[in-house]
Amino acid sequence: MQPGSSATWITLASLLCCLPCRAGELSVTVIDRDGHGVDQVAVTATPSAGTTTTAPAPAVMDQRNRLFVPRLLIVAVGSTVQFPNNDTVSHQVYSFSPAKHFQLPLYKGEVHPPVVFDQPGLVVLGCNIHDSMVGYIYVTPAPYFGSTDADGALLLKELPKGDYRVVVWSPYIADAPATLTRSIRVEGTGSQAEHFQLKLALRAEPEPKPHRENWEY
Amino acid sequence: MRLRFALAALAAFWPLVAGAQDRLTLDGDLDVRWVHATGEPSFMNGGPGILRFDPEHEGLELGRAFLAPTWRIADIVSLHAVLDTYGDHNRNPVDISEFYLSVRPFPTGPVRFSARIGAFYMPVSLENRGIGWTDVYSITPSAVNSWIGEEFRTMGAEMEARWRGASSGYLGDFALIGAAYGWNDPAGALLAERGFTLSDRPSTLFGYLGSPPLGFYHEIDRRPGYYGGVTWRHHDRLEIRALRYDNRGDPTASTRSGFYAWRTRFSSLGARFEPDAHWTLIAQALDGNTAVGGGDDPQFYMRFRAAFALASYEWGRQRLTGRYDEFHTHQLSGFLGPPHTQDGHAWTVAWAYDLGEHWQFLSEWIRAASSFPPRLALDEPVMQTQTQLQLAARYHFKAGW
Repeated sequence: MQPGSSATWITLASLLCCLPCRAGELSVTVIDRDGHGVDQVAVTATPSAGTTTTAPAPAVMDQRNRLFVPRLLIVAVGSTVQFPNNDTVSHQVYSFSPAKHFQLPLYKGEVHPPVVFDQPGLVVLGCNIHDSMVGYIYVTPAPYFGSTDADGALLLKELPKGDYRVVVWSPYIADAPATLTRSIRVEGTGSQAEHFQLKLALRAEPEPKPHRENWEY
Repeated sequence: MRLRFALAALAAFWPLVAGAQDRLTLDGDLDVRWVHATGEPSFMNGGPGILRFDPEHEGLELGRAFLAPTWRIADIVSLHAVLDTYGDHNRNPVDISEFYLSVRPFPTGPVRFSARIGAFYMPVSLENRGIGWTDVYSITPSAVNSWIGEEFRTMGAEMEARWRGASSGYLGDFALIGAAYGWNDPAGALLAERGFTLSDRPSTLFGYLGSPPLGFYHEIDRRPGYYGGVTWRHHDRLEIRALRYDNRGDPTASTRSGFYAWRTRFSSLGARFEPDAHWTLIAQALDGNTAVGGGDDPQFYMRFRAAFALASYEWGRQRLTGRYDEFHTHQLSGFLGPPHTQDGHAWTVAWAYDLGEHWQFLSEWIRAASSFPPRLALDEPVMQTQTQLQLAARYHFKAGW
């Protein structure tokens, strides 16, 4: 699954159960202190009632210019993620996060089989050669999720009528988690919008500089 | 002897890498320059000048050529070497400036341990970020890091414990670094002889630097030295490095061939701040002392300090950098003539243009002014000003097998 491109994942089960009722749309925007949209923010919507889950789907975490692309990937529990290295240099990807321990020995291209993420939680990725490389895989049990686009926007579709808990998260957002969680009611018809206006400055990372940097002392 | 051993080791391992998929990579640089210099003869040619080139050595010059192979022997073990040529008075036309094993086990928790064993630069500079101590902001490093490149190479083992904050929600990391080494007993002799310089001509492991030829990296007193340091990276925007160096030299020890052990100690503190995608600000200061002799003879004792501030702006393929350097040495005892006390400052302006993947054009202008009483012995005024303009074309390649 590519975040941003296909933002909504619903199981056949949840689709079937909601056929009788009408589904709504939820538009989420995350705006920084200066009024700009914040991209690559994970958004999840979990219904208060019922235990709907989402079918796992394959996803890709690329490596280019000594960066993980995307920086943040959001996947359903049980999804597989491929880690192709399309960089000019070799990488060694690892995680020691409780949600997933793994390591991919030195490689370029598409050498290793996909990794299964079967526990919910945040998986922080690193490269054993390039300490400045950090990436995130957000493994969620929520049935509706996605990550924001360059304008800070995400549209979640086909949400059955009901109460939801909406959570937004990014490693770059400094605001308190309590301000990033909302309980909302989705009406079974039409579209509704949730704006998250951040109060604190982002912990933004500039692009690695200079470009010719290779070894660090 | 050490050079022959190093080359033999490299040759012995070479066939093993054939067929490996990108286990061996090779970086190479060729830097050719047009130089225009004013002022007195350079320390490279026996003069009291503190810049690399002088009016007798200008025009078309070889800045540097190097080959830097990296061999990933195993997933967590790699072998690094840098082979240099400068086309100057070095004893060896091609020499090694770094040769070390790097061991980086996969982290199993938030603290990552790694080690380097061999001969390598200490982690003190915030401007020499390129391969083989290359300064990426200008052609010539600051006085502080010119000196580090000239007189210091860690020949021993270095351990690092790095707390990676990302797993705890902190965008940054914190590292403790410690090293034990030998063969650094002459460190300090060059600074005592001629003060600080601004030069992108670091020493090599087996060669000479400047004229009269001065060799480095001898073990004289059989006492290992150490350094300890911390590195803190905050949000990948701010990096702070602090280091305490002490070669623990016995200043009364010497070899029959006339090499003395110098007791050299210093502290260095530096910060690099990258507020956005364009600006880089760096400041670094160094303070220390060195001593030699003693016993029956009066001891030569010198204090030194140097600092610089740098601002660099990058846009598109271009980078513009300005830097101000200040440097002082103060001889307090052991006089054999005018005191080796130096007071100087320098302004550097550099502009770099990336012409693509392989080519880079760099230009740099330096104006350095310094007072140094030993110039009296040459019937020169104590205070001198030099300038140096360099226009460099740099070719870089990278290959992998």
